[in-house]
Amino acid sequence: MSATTSARGVWAIAMYTWREGIRKKTLIGFLLLSLLVIFGSTFMTAFMTQATVSGNIETEVETKIIKDICVSAISIFGILITIFMSASVVPNEMENKVIYTVLSKPVRRYQYLLGKFAGVQLIVIANLVLMSLLFIIALYIKEQVVPTLLMWSTLLTYFQFLIVSSFTFAISCTSTSSVLPTISGLFIYITGNLTEYLNDVSNRSGTTESGIDAIIGQVASMLYKILPNLRSFDLRNQILYLAPNDPPADVQIPNLILYGLLYGFAGYLLAQVLFSRKEL
Amino acid sequence: MSVVIETKDLTKTYEAGFFSGQEVHALKNMNLQINTGEIFAYLGPNGSGKTTTIKMMLSLIFPTSGSIEILGRKDIRSSEVKRQIGYLPEGAYYPEFLKGEEVLRFYGQLYGLSGEDLEQRVAKTLDIVSMTYARNRLIRGYSKGMRQRIGLAQALLSDPTILILDEPTTGLDPLARKEMRDILANLRDEGKTLLISSHELQEVELISDRVAIIYRGEMQISGTLTELLTDRDVTIEADSITPAAQAKLEQLNIKAEDITKERSLLHIPSGMSLYDAVEVCKQENINILSVAPRRETLEELFVRTVGDASRAESGKAQPATAAN
Repeated sequence: MSATTSARGVWAIAMYTWREGIRKKTLIGFLLLSLLVIFGSTFMTAFMTQATVSGNIETEVETKIIKDICVSAISIFGILITIFMSASVVPNEMENKVIYTVLSKPVRRYQYLLGKFAGVQLIVIANLVLMSLLFIIALYIKEQVVPTLLMWSTLLTYFQFLIVSSFTFAISCTSTSSVLPTISGLFIYITGNLTEYLNDVSNRSGTTESGIDAIIGQVASMLYKILPNLRSFDLRNQILYLAPNDPPADVQIPNLILYGLLYGFAGYLLAQVLFSRKEL
Repeated sequence: MSVVIETKDLTKTYEAGFFSGQEVHALKNMNLQINTGEIFAYLGPNGSGKTTTIKMMLSLIFPTSGSIEILGRKDIRSSEVKRQIGYLPEGAYYPEFLKGEEVLRFYGQLYGLSGEDLEQRVAKTLDIVSMTYARNRLIRGYSKGMRQRIGLAQALLSDPTILILDEPTTGLDPLARKEMRDILANLRDEGKTLLISSHELQEVELISDRVAIIYRGEMQISGTLTELLTDRDVTIEADSITPAAQAKLEQLNIKAEDITKERSLLHIPSGMSLYDAVEVCKQENINILSVAPRRETLEELFVRTVGDASRAESGKAQPATAAN
């Protein structure tokens, strides 16, 4: 099979996944809700601040509330959309048998999975861009400056989502229903945000001379090294407390992108391994 | 006539449970030979291993042991082999938001087709399945028969040599079934080989050249319909029969079956001449309405074969049960 033929097949599967994905009612529901929250936050803050404070402080509080609500909405709805899509694309096709018609064609399993994964990423990116764009517009109207910090945050948030998406996708390749991968995706997201605590446990473990304490410390240290640290992609506090056009502080963006790509690739590779011998 | 699909001792075993350690044989030493240009019906009750065999041919699942050769090649996962196979799964789904031609374009792209080539293939397959008139309609508006024809069209996109069809006529109304049957017969006449797995035995009997019946993963019988459907008998349709006449018929092993209150069907046992049977009717004052020769149907053969296999299996299991 030539490279062009192969690429055409992958592209067709990605586009099919995209077209089918954007019509899913759950996705549309999450997206509309998030847009409503982002859009509605501007009105809500206007009412709140009128009744409470005045002058410059009023504008500052108002902006902070908008930022807080919007960042939370993007984070919550974004990850829900990511997990839902990553967990469901492959199991759904097993259930409705589309996978049989596709894999009975001259399409290799790795091509099928690549197409599906690419389709999911297109949906995740499109949703993230749409939500962030509305936030950027809301912030621009309020502060009259281009919120570049928010743009950097959107970029890093995508790589955070990529990690969760790739591992959720890998688990979905072993499952015939989307329930287990969805739960696993949420678990990955929550655990990935708590890895700092593992580091704390590891650091404190040497304080007593108990053997169990030392073992727990080693396990925590190992998990801290293996699990992705999703917190490091989070620019929430900087968005809340810095000026919208400030550069991101204390983060190495190229390193974080590389970190996200490596974990994303590891998850995708795991999916390929699990799917290569899966009995359909 | 060359062999296009051949399985040798094809076996598929699953583990019944993670901890039980028990094995379930989905398919046991299956030997099949499907020849070029024939319609081969692969029959069996639910769970007998038909879909398992098909999935192994398509590399969707993998054999525990044994081998499959398609078009003389063992590398059945290769693109060259897959290009020669069209597959229609049972109850496949096609996205409701796409038009018929868009569904075919998607599948065509999987073959690497594009541009004018793709459009020509889409148009040709739509023509083969008589769906050109509905190519611009959304799948949402398609009837079950139309969806099934689009399914067949996606299987035909690469102009394959072999077509594997899982329940192609199930759920279709009589008219749609007839249309599908005609399409399949035309494809066979064009030289394509068709492997059909179906429960619609009357349909299968009308179009298939050879038949294999499997039960619990094991081959029971296979052959042409002429070879397999050998049992013939004669039936006499008659007016209602008195209890005395019925008793006499039973003595002679003539089975009387009530069609209606006033009419009965007499099954003449093999070995008894028709003249003798008519003579008995005359003696018992049975009014004969018609006399008809009858060949065993595929459905009867199927029921008999599966019944025999089931009884043989119960017989084998009996001593073990008694021992327990």
